[in-house]
Amino acid sequence: MTKVIAITGKGGTGKTAVAALLIRSLSKKGKFLLAVDADADTNLPETLGCENVKTIGDAKEYLQAEITKPRPDNPDMNKEAVLKSKIYEIIEEMPGYDLLVMGRPEGSGCYCYVNNLLRGIMDKLIINYDVVIIDAEAGLEHFSRKIIRDIDDLIVVTDASRRGFRTAERIHELVDELDSNIGQIHVIANKVTDANREKLVKLAEDLKLNMIGMIPLDPKIEEMDIKGIPLFEISDDSIAAVEIESIVQKLGF
Amino acid sequence: MAEFPFEISPMFEGERVRKEGMFVELGGPKSLGLELVRAMAMDEIEDDKVTVIGPNLKDMEEGKTYPWAMVFNIGGELIEADLESVIERRIHDFINYCQGIMHLNQRYDVWMRISKDTAAKMDSFDSFGKAVMMLFKTELPFIEKMQVTFYTDQAEVEKKMVEAKEIFKIRDARTKNLHDEDVDVFYGCTLCQAFAPTNVCVVSPDRVSLCGAINWFDGRAAAKVDPEGPQFAIEKGELLDSNTGEYSGVNDIAVKLSSGEFSKIKLHSFFDSPHTSCGCFEVVGFYIPEVDGIGWVSREYQGMAPNGLGFSTMAGQTGGGKQIVGFLGIGVAYFYSPKFIQADGGWNRVVWIPSMLKEKIADTIPADIMDKIATENDATDIESLKAFLQSKNHPVVARWAAAEEEEEEEEEEEEEEAEEVAVAAAPMMMPAAGFQMPAMASMPMMPAGGKAGGVKITFKKAKITIEKMTIREKKE
Repeated sequence: MTKVIAITGKGGTGKTAVAALLIRSLSKKGKFLLAVDADADTNLPETLGCENVKTIGDAKEYLQAEITKPRPDNPDMNKEAVLKSKIYEIIEEMPGYDLLVMGRPEGSGCYCYVNNLLRGIMDKLIINYDVVIIDAEAGLEHFSRKIIRDIDDLIVVTDASRRGFRTAERIHELVDELDSNIGQIHVIANKVTDANREKLVKLAEDLKLNMIGMIPLDPKIEEMDIKGIPLFEISDDSIAAVEIESIVQKLGF
Repeated sequence: MAEFPFEISPMFEGERVRKEGMFVELGGPKSLGLELVRAMAMDEIEDDKVTVIGPNLKDMEEGKTYPWAMVFNIGGELIEADLESVIERRIHDFINYCQGIMHLNQRYDVWMRISKDTAAKMDSFDSFGKAVMMLFKTELPFIEKMQVTFYTDQAEVEKKMVEAKEIFKIRDARTKNLHDEDVDVFYGCTLCQAFAPTNVCVVSPDRVSLCGAINWFDGRAAAKVDPEGPQFAIEKGELLDSNTGEYSGVNDIAVKLSSGEFSKIKLHSFFDSPHTSCGCFEVVGFYIPEVDGIGWVSREYQGMAPNGLGFSTMAGQTGGGKQIVGFLGIGVAYFYSPKFIQADGGWNRVVWIPSMLKEKIADTIPADIMDKIATENDATDIESLKAFLQSKNHPVVARWAAAEEEEEEEEEEEEEEAEEVAVAAAPMMMPAAGFQMPAMASMPMMPAGGKAGGVKITFKKAKITIEKMTIREKKE
């Protein structure tokens, strides 16, 4: 069975970094993995050391334009096979895992049909993998559209800021409204320092959020960011990577 | 079932053969890839035969891309040329059922990959061809005989490509000429019922879905693969009225899908029992009572239509899966239908289209009406639209004269009263909730004059306040 893990949180809390570290850890363990960037504003590909990727948004626009032509050249086109081809074409094959970017939001027309095709394609694609890791924006738009239907673990990343936690709380509420199949919700505190550690634990308790890990503020991550080195290349003994190992275990790997 | 060197199951449908695990790539973005199904006479087919022209699997070099063409010949008592494309669409499914073989795209864009694991289990494409033909015959038993030829030689594939493109061209021309009367089955779609619970989307050869995304062929393909899915077959039943496009089967499904809210849907009618409107439609049509004509506005048009309303306002009013008399959502391709609102005058009833849309669909607008249809450059309100139509002598102008004659007598009686309430001013479309009313008041679908014992009521410059009104059937 494929395990689907979605990572979300307020912008700036480091959710993309956490996603990249999880991808790194799991693919090192030999898990065959699909990484999905589902945040139009994020830079997961860059963090993983991959640039200039095409997106599902591009594939959708292509098909939408093709099928809503007033006079299609080929009315009997196999739209599912064409969309699937476009998506398989844009899947970036990284060493040990695949990367898929959702990309731009939809245009103004009706995407019910294209999204329905996409849902079917994603259902069948996902079963190829041991794990799917999704870097998702806080609004969880792709889940409300059910492009990816079931999530086993939803991880909300937060820093010590009040707004980070507020977002975590809101996501918690949003999940109830979504009526998606979401197994468990966890919180990861990021950029943890000795000064804010206790406050973070207490905040999580007050909001009844299940804290699955606390990643210390890692100077190496900042350094890599400044130098433009993909986070994927972080060393195993960095304090963030060590904490990720413990989180991965708690997630059942 | 015969034994094959690889497993066969729908479970492998989404299987992706990655570059790392790939033995060879066939066709695809870097080469030529073709698939074609041809209906043949029974005696021309050698059943279950696989021929490979060009290098076979064992002669191929690992990691390379080869040109690829596959031509399936099918025969059977029920096989005819029209079935070729239906069967061809299934190639994608059946090849993907084979473990370690990835098939993508269609027609002349085919892209396949054979995994190292699967390639290691066979020397030839022979067992692959036989497996695919077995799947075809099992799932589509009307295929009695089948044979396949695989081409991997560049020159041969190029040759086949030229031939096939000619065949596709002829096939497409035939599909474009398919009409409602040529088929027994239409298709329904319930994708929009998520937000428009009573919406009944009926897709026929002459009527594309409102969103523009689903045509009759998509309905046919989807319903065959998953009859319980969002697209399903509608037996069209008895033709009740060819002009309005009324079918007993469509009416039945209208009742069922709308949970009894609607009893009839006439496919090519604007006023009487029109198609429901979901909210996804690409274009909305609106009746303009003052000129007795119909305007159309597309999603892309940002401005106001002559009735003082924009697309989003009208879409908000029209959407939700209701039959809103006076408004109709459509897909752009419906303008190309030879039955385009034929129950209500077709193109001769069209008075206004934003210039962008008019340009886009110019090739389907009849030449004699082209210049008589106003755009936002000609008319932005009712008065300027009226003047434009009059100056161009639009066909609706003739309807005005006819209507006026009828009204004259009635008007004399009404005049005195009318003057008292002149405050209500020009017959501008009322915004929002009330704006359907003026359309209803002089709805042309009502039996005209006193015919058939009907009554025609014309309100002009009227302001009506009613505390309570009871309408009861007259008892003899």
